Amino acid sequence: MDNLVYILFICLVAPMLLMVMLLRKRSRALVGYMIIGVVASLFVSEVNAILLNLFDRNEAYVTTVITPLSEEIVKAIPVLVYALLASDHRDRVMPIAFALGVGFGMFENMVILTANVGNVTIGWAIARGFSTALMHAVCTVAVGFGICFIKKKKKLFYCGTFALLTMASIYHGIFNMLVQSDYKFLGFVLPALTYVPILIQQYFYYKRKNEN
Amino acid sequence: MKVLKLFLIANIITCVCALVGFIYGIVKFFKPKKAVYAQMITLSVGCMAFGRLYQVVRLLTEGDITDSFQLGILGVIGSLLFLFSANFGAMDSLADDGSKKFIKYRIIPFAAPAVLAAVYLIFAFLLIIKGGAFIIGAVITLFAAQASYFNLKHLIFPDVDYGVIKCLKPYNLIALIYSLTCVLEIVFINSENGIAVLIIGLIMSGLLIAIVPSVERGMKKWTI
Repeated sequence: MDNLVYILFICLVAPMLLMVMLLRKRSRALVGYMIIGVVASLFVSEVNAILLNLFDRNEAYVTTVITPLSEEIVKAIPVLVYALLASDHRDRVMPIAFALGVGFGMFENMVILTANVGNVTIGWAIARGFSTALMHAVCTVAVGFGICFIKKKKKLFYCGTFALLTMASIYHGIFNMLVQSDYKFLGFVLPALTYVPILIQQYFYYKRKNEN
Repeated sequence: MKVLKLFLIANIITCVCALVGFIYGIVKFFKPKKAVYAQMITLSVGCMAFGRLYQVVRLLTEGDITDSFQLGILGVIGSLLFLFSANFGAMDSLADDGSKKFIKYRIIPFAAPAVLAAVYLIFAFLLIIKGGAFIIGAVITLFAAQASYFNLKHLIFPDVDYGVIKCLKPYNLIALIYSLTCVLEIVFINSENGIAVLIIGLIMSGLLIAIVPSVERGMKKWTI
């Protein structure tokens, strides 16, 4: 069962790869970035295993300090590449950032599922589905939103990228700390609390755009 | 336990003040789009707010921020990086044309990083800070030093056209003291001196509240 993670990875990515070939333009970018999210998640799961050994298997420290950094950096790179090479328009960057975050979160849940297959419940699935996957998506969307802004202002670019990664890592770290603590509920609610303002903001943004 | 409570109080106060400063900056400099300089300083305060938020949650859930590197430190580094970038990238070229007549204004400001480095090394020696904690403190001192160089430079630099530098002197003074507090804070955190951390935290909170309004006041005079 050692390769269960890879088996799941192939089962998930193979049909998506076949689908992406049939799609065009924005749909292709969207599904493509979801696949990239899954690949990034697989890559990070291996990196995290190495990091855990480096830090004497201190899981609490690694999950609240090191993995938020490594995961946010890996997730930000494809979004940064898209903004630099394809388009830095908010309408295009935000959806692909969200797709990447969802893909990442989805596969991370699968990796954790394989490690705890005997202990998981429907409640666990609901909590992880609506919190962890959403948290990854919110972090990546925030980075994507920021990149659209700083890309246009050269003087802000380097510091801005650092600040975005810092903020995303801190948000991720806070989430990880909360879900491992006695304040679990707060941890599970946090992504929803940050998702709702983004949703409202996007709603009014498109409404204003349609009116113009 | 008492030390950690003092750390927590200091962090909560700093976090709240930084958040207030950050929101004020967003309203003043981002909604009506203003100079990148002001936006960078707002983001500097924002980085600090996020870093403190992390430390507050860490203290509440795990009860310690002194063990080794933690993400709250990135908030401090980000904050100092933005202060440096604002002056170096957005303001310095307006004031300093690189001519020889300003050479002494380029040399004297080295006093600020020198003082910060000396303060850090003396306290680190006296309070016996070594290993990873020493390196983390040294990294923060390095970022504080580069920010402080430009803060002092713009504090003593003769005024250029439109009074751009002169109007921002109060801000540069505040930012200079802020850099010093960042260095002192990390020293006292590593030496687990709760009272000193609380005092530094209160001073830092006041500075974080004052930074953005001082920039706003300075920028208002630009147009006069």
